[in-house]
Amino acid sequence: MKHMWKIAKWEIMRNLTNKQFIIGLLLTPLIMALFAVVPVFLERWNRPSTSTYYVIDELGAAGQLQTLLPENIVLAEPTETGLAAVEKEVRETKASGYFVLNREFISTGQLELRYNDRNMDSLSTIRQGLTALLQHMRIAESNIDVGELAYVTAPAQVRQVAMEEDLEPEVMHMIVSVVFTILIFFLIFTSGTMLMQSALQEKRDRMAEVVLSSIRPATLMQGKIVGHFLLGLIQLGFWLALGLPIAVYFLDFPVLEALKAVNLPVILVFGLGGYLLFSALFVSLGATMEDMQSASNSQGLVVMLPMLGFLFMGPVTTNPDGAIAVFASLFPFTSPSIMMLRSGLTTVPLWQNLTAMALLLGTAFLTTLMATKIFRLGMLMYGKNATPREIIRWLRYKEN
Amino acid sequence: MDGLIVKGISKVYGSTTVVDNISFQAAQGKILGVLGPNGAGKTTIIRMIMGITAPDQGEIFFQEGGKRTRGVPLNLVGYLPEERGLYKETKVMNILLFLAGLKDMPKQSAKERAMEWLRKFGLEEYANKKVEQLSKGMAQKVQFIASILHEPKFVVLDEPFSGLDPVSQDQFKAEIRALATSGAAVLLSSHQMGIVEELCDEIFLIHKGKEVVQGDLQSIKERYGNFRVDVLADQEISLDNGRVESFQVLNGSRYRFILREGVEPLEFVHSFPAELGIRELVISRPSLHDIFVQIAQGGVEDEAYVEDSQMGDYA
Repeated sequence: MKHMWKIAKWEIMRNLTNKQFIIGLLLTPLIMALFAVVPVFLERWNRPSTSTYYVIDELGAAGQLQTLLPENIVLAEPTETGLAAVEKEVRETKASGYFVLNREFISTGQLELRYNDRNMDSLSTIRQGLTALLQHMRIAESNIDVGELAYVTAPAQVRQVAMEEDLEPEVMHMIVSVVFTILIFFLIFTSGTMLMQSALQEKRDRMAEVVLSSIRPATLMQGKIVGHFLLGLIQLGFWLALGLPIAVYFLDFPVLEALKAVNLPVILVFGLGGYLLFSALFVSLGATMEDMQSASNSQGLVVMLPMLGFLFMGPVTTNPDGAIAVFASLFPFTSPSIMMLRSGLTTVPLWQNLTAMALLLGTAFLTTLMATKIFRLGMLMYGKNATPREIIRWLRYKEN
Repeated sequence: MDGLIVKGISKVYGSTTVVDNISFQAAQGKILGVLGPNGAGKTTIIRMIMGITAPDQGEIFFQEGGKRTRGVPLNLVGYLPEERGLYKETKVMNILLFLAGLKDMPKQSAKERAMEWLRKFGLEEYANKKVEQLSKGMAQKVQFIASILHEPKFVVLDEPFSGLDPVSQDQFKAEIRALATSGAAVLLSSHQMGIVEELCDEIFLIHKGKEVVQGDLQSIKERYGNFRVDVLADQEISLDNGRVESFQVLNGSRYRFILREGVEPLEFVHSFPAELGIRELVISRPSLHDIFVQIAQGGVEDEAYVEDSQMGDYA
């Protein structure tokens, strides 16, 4: 136990004094903020461009069409007559395109718009405007009463009221559980990768044998797992300390209130269980590898295992009580993230919660036992990747 | 006897017996040389002693102050493995303190002793530098310090001299000697026969996982190497008096006689004719290197060649 803490402390110390770790710590929130902010700005800068379209107006409807369009779409009347001349004018004035409004459009609804500038936004806006114009003109032609038409085409308005109060999805609760699901998932994945690299590094630096002459392999593995768990918490704490004040200040959302809605026991049990399961898997995986580049396909598959949860996120969100959702929240390789998500969307029956916990913890325990065996032999193998056959042989290997 | 006691250990990987019923002892105050060609099972034996892998059969004991324990207490042992390194991006002193901490050494005394050792090897200015700034030889000295910093009662050194320059080799030899003198049992594995011959009190030779011979150097030489007499003389020597087992012309008129077992060299020399005109006369036993090559026939004969990894031991 004492030695396990020494290893954990060493892992934490080594990472906290490592430039790469610190850069990652600072850069990750920056990159995330960038991803959130940059598209918004890009969108804003993109907005004010104006597109001019020439209309050969045989119907006298250009004025009406213009009222159906936003300001940045300008309809203009060509000074020339004849298609060729108009096309020339469009080119010369660098306008976006031109089209003909005639009787045929009203009867068939078909129109050819020749464009000079492939601006998807304005093209789609014009399309919408033309549709509206077409409807207006056809209504006028058919002598239909506009009020009557609105009455006929009005959509049904359904008010959904849950019979029991706790079925009512709380928006806040939902958002919080989605955010935490992603957070836990992110933590498991980054800590797992770091753990794998830590085992790899021990081998690459040829330190495994020296360290293993002082402590047992299981102790080394546990120390690494605990150390990286604490490192993950330090990371998370740092980001929360950095992000929460910003979120509270800038976001139009009661962040602090929402945090109270967090289902702490679910997060603790499934977060911790998920971490134990995947960390044991990742650290022993690192022990079977020579380096990252030489990882084989089967090793790559194990790295993808935590991603499984993402596959189920869509179906679970649309139907949180469906069979798929229940399965994914019981299956130990997806339950850490999915159970958290479900508990935000619906009320998960107690038996499912307990079964999922038992399955997850049991699988984590078994995985740790197997991982210990793989770890103790893998750490001492130099110069090559372990083959699946070797790993199976290691698993059958008897402990002293 | 205090020290390491290995009793009939065996290890089987798949269908190969890597270590076959090996027994030996390493007494405190003595240096035991474990020799063998590549793939002989040395690293496997060392790993079993360290408790990294377990023997399929047999037992390993450690006796300290008359009290015997099964297996070697990890805080009493110091280990310099053949596959060795250091965390590259970490400071020298931090690594030494970390490893000493794993051996339960108090931090303050570990720091003082680490500084002392670094000074001894002329590395004190590197204490707070990162390992990546060290040369290979310097790193090897730091690895050596790490393995003996906690004043172990039992030291295992696997190829400690590989890659060292002659000056550093002498330094290492002196320190290893000092370790034994201060009462530690030292187990040394090396391919450099000259050094082993010079340093070791006892020798244990294995080949293909089996014991070939063990004992002190002199008795091994007596058992495996008959006397040899090299003579440079004015006249051609032609004698066959039943004392010589084999005979070789080395170069020019230099002859080497390998004597039969039990033949006294002096008695042989007396049988030379008076008019022979001896210019040089050397009476010796074969070197450990010769014995090693002779015993490990089919093993690797070239010493310089014997430097690569021990993956064969692991299988």
